[in-house]
Amino acid sequence: MKNITYLFLAFVLIFSSCSDEEIPAQMTVDLNFENTLNGKPLQLNSETFTLPSGEPFIAKKLKYYISNVVLTDTKSGAVYTVPNSYHLLGEDFKSTVELGMIPSANYDQITFSIGVDQVANAKTDQTGDLDPNNEMAWNWNSGYKFVVLEGEFTHKTTGVRTGLVLHIGRNQNYKTVTQSLTGIRSGRAAQIQLKTVIDQLFLSPNALKVSELPSTTIMGGELADKIGENYASGFITIE
Amino acid sequence: MRFLTLGSGICLCGVLLFSCGTEESPIQEGPTLISLEKPDYFPAEQPMPAANPLTEEGVRLGRMLFYEKKLSKDGTISCASCHQQEKGFSDGLRVSPGVGGTQGTMNAMALANLHWQTRFFWNGRAVTLEEQALIPIEDPVEMNLPIQEAISRLQNDSDYPKLFSAAFGSEEVTAERIGKALAQFERTLISANSKFDRWIRGEVQLTPEEQLGLELFFTHPEPSIQLRGGNCGDCHLGFLTSGDPNGFSGFHNNGLDPDERLKSGLQFVTGNAFDRGKFKAPGLRNIALTAPYMHDGRFSSLEEVLDHYNDHIQNSETLDVLILEASNEPQSPNDPVKLHLSEQEKKAIIAFLNTLTDQEFVSNPKFSNPFK
Repeated sequence: MKNITYLFLAFVLIFSSCSDEEIPAQMTVDLNFENTLNGKPLQLNSETFTLPSGEPFIAKKLKYYISNVVLTDTKSGAVYTVPNSYHLLGEDFKSTVELGMIPSANYDQITFSIGVDQVANAKTDQTGDLDPNNEMAWNWNSGYKFVVLEGEFTHKTTGVRTGLVLHIGRNQNYKTVTQSLTGIRSGRAAQIQLKTVIDQLFLSPNALKVSELPSTTIMGGELADKIGENYASGFITIE
Repeated sequence: MRFLTLGSGICLCGVLLFSCGTEESPIQEGPTLISLEKPDYFPAEQPMPAANPLTEEGVRLGRMLFYEKKLSKDGTISCASCHQQEKGFSDGLRVSPGVGGTQGTMNAMALANLHWQTRFFWNGRAVTLEEQALIPIEDPVEMNLPIQEAISRLQNDSDYPKLFSAAFGSEEVTAERIGKALAQFERTLISANSKFDRWIRGEVQLTPEEQLGLELFFTHPEPSIQLRGGNCGDCHLGFLTSGDPNGFSGFHNNGLDPDERLKSGLQFVTGNAFDRGKFKAPGLRNIALTAPYMHDGRFSSLEEVLDHYNDHIQNSETLDVLILEASNEPQSPNDPVKLHLSEQEKKAIIAFLNTLTDQEFVSNPKFSNPFK
């Protein structure tokens, strides 16, 4: 045990000693997510928002997985792949992913996926953000919900308070997003601001009019896949 | 089987760390730190409160206080009067009697796996177990003893000052220490050897009926894709079958009453009108032993509970959207809220609920009355 400690201290000393004037070998990077609806910060269980199809809407829950984050410096070709990268985010829940100390580079591109990959999605005996004790596991056998939005809206034709329950998962709805980054300087602590645009779940390419849907519980099937196509772009963007 | 690899990994780490600790650290004075004996499939990231580490001496004191009738005004009841071990630490009554025969208004909550819960009482008014543990002592409809009187009774006792000293380093009895000791004992009330647990560990098979019940329990129905569900796991989450520990997410209006009869519930704590009629989703461990059910004990059997969720949901302004939306048959917006489970499916869910009974827990001598 002690030898390992000394080895570790030696590493720390080596790294810190070469960082005096030069660019430090490592830098911290945080990803900060802001959840928005109608261009405003999301509030649960209080404020009335409007769905893209026009219905008054009160959100009750928003949670989603981001996974397999990769940062790239396209000029130098440096690539940092975040290990064991599964991050559960949500409103009134975690909104920051701390990547910790990572190799320094002028990262100008981020790639991540919405949902969890096929391998992680095939089992639930996992810990951390994939712990099946949080409510994102479907059950013990069949992986995870990737994006959960729950709330209530006023139905356009009946005027009735109606629940909206979107639980989107399944491997086909694992979507990978690549975006450009600006302003990240090698060796300097970086804060990457991301905006989660809930409106986009209902917008394009598949416009969803919730009052016209046969069911507003969407947990699988064609409609779930359409929402998956919607969140594939424009749902989580760099601010 | 599923969790075996992970489990042995954790055990190995434990052994390694433990051996380092015993070799290198000097013998320490004071209470003996212990850790909770919990299975590796319970949430790992739930630290012990820094201000109240779990110790052997603290737990011992907490257990005595839990069974101590001196903590009630007339010396007739203790915590254990309403939280009886053989009934999964509940009392079998609709609402619980306090000292002098006063009737409370709420059903005594069953106790198990409390370390993983974050808000206590049906309306969530206590944030920590330490805070919760003191409230029934003073509550006029429960033990009705001013906390100063409780302190002086314990301080003047022939045994307790020594026990407080062993647990907290001095003989001084304080409200804070009473709460801490009770909370420590309550954290050790871990129920993890039910048939459901043994199934998780791959030691037993469920019967086909229990297996169907489990699948229904953890599934939200969606008729458009022929997915049948009992909609229970939306609120009773994961292996613990307890409420969401984040913020107030574990509180729900489960359709017991229409708007005009909704009690305040969580609104009492948050002041938010959207929280009216919401109560804590309790953990369902040992549920077959903890009748009657709901915050006011209105249902005497699990059959009545299933009938409620299936057929008698009362719609209201704050009815949980996951109940409002749940049906096993296609619905039109103006249809009454019904789950449309079959009789066989309801029976299967009850069969699964019976697998949550942990005989070892309800007979474990570590949790029993130390004065007997």
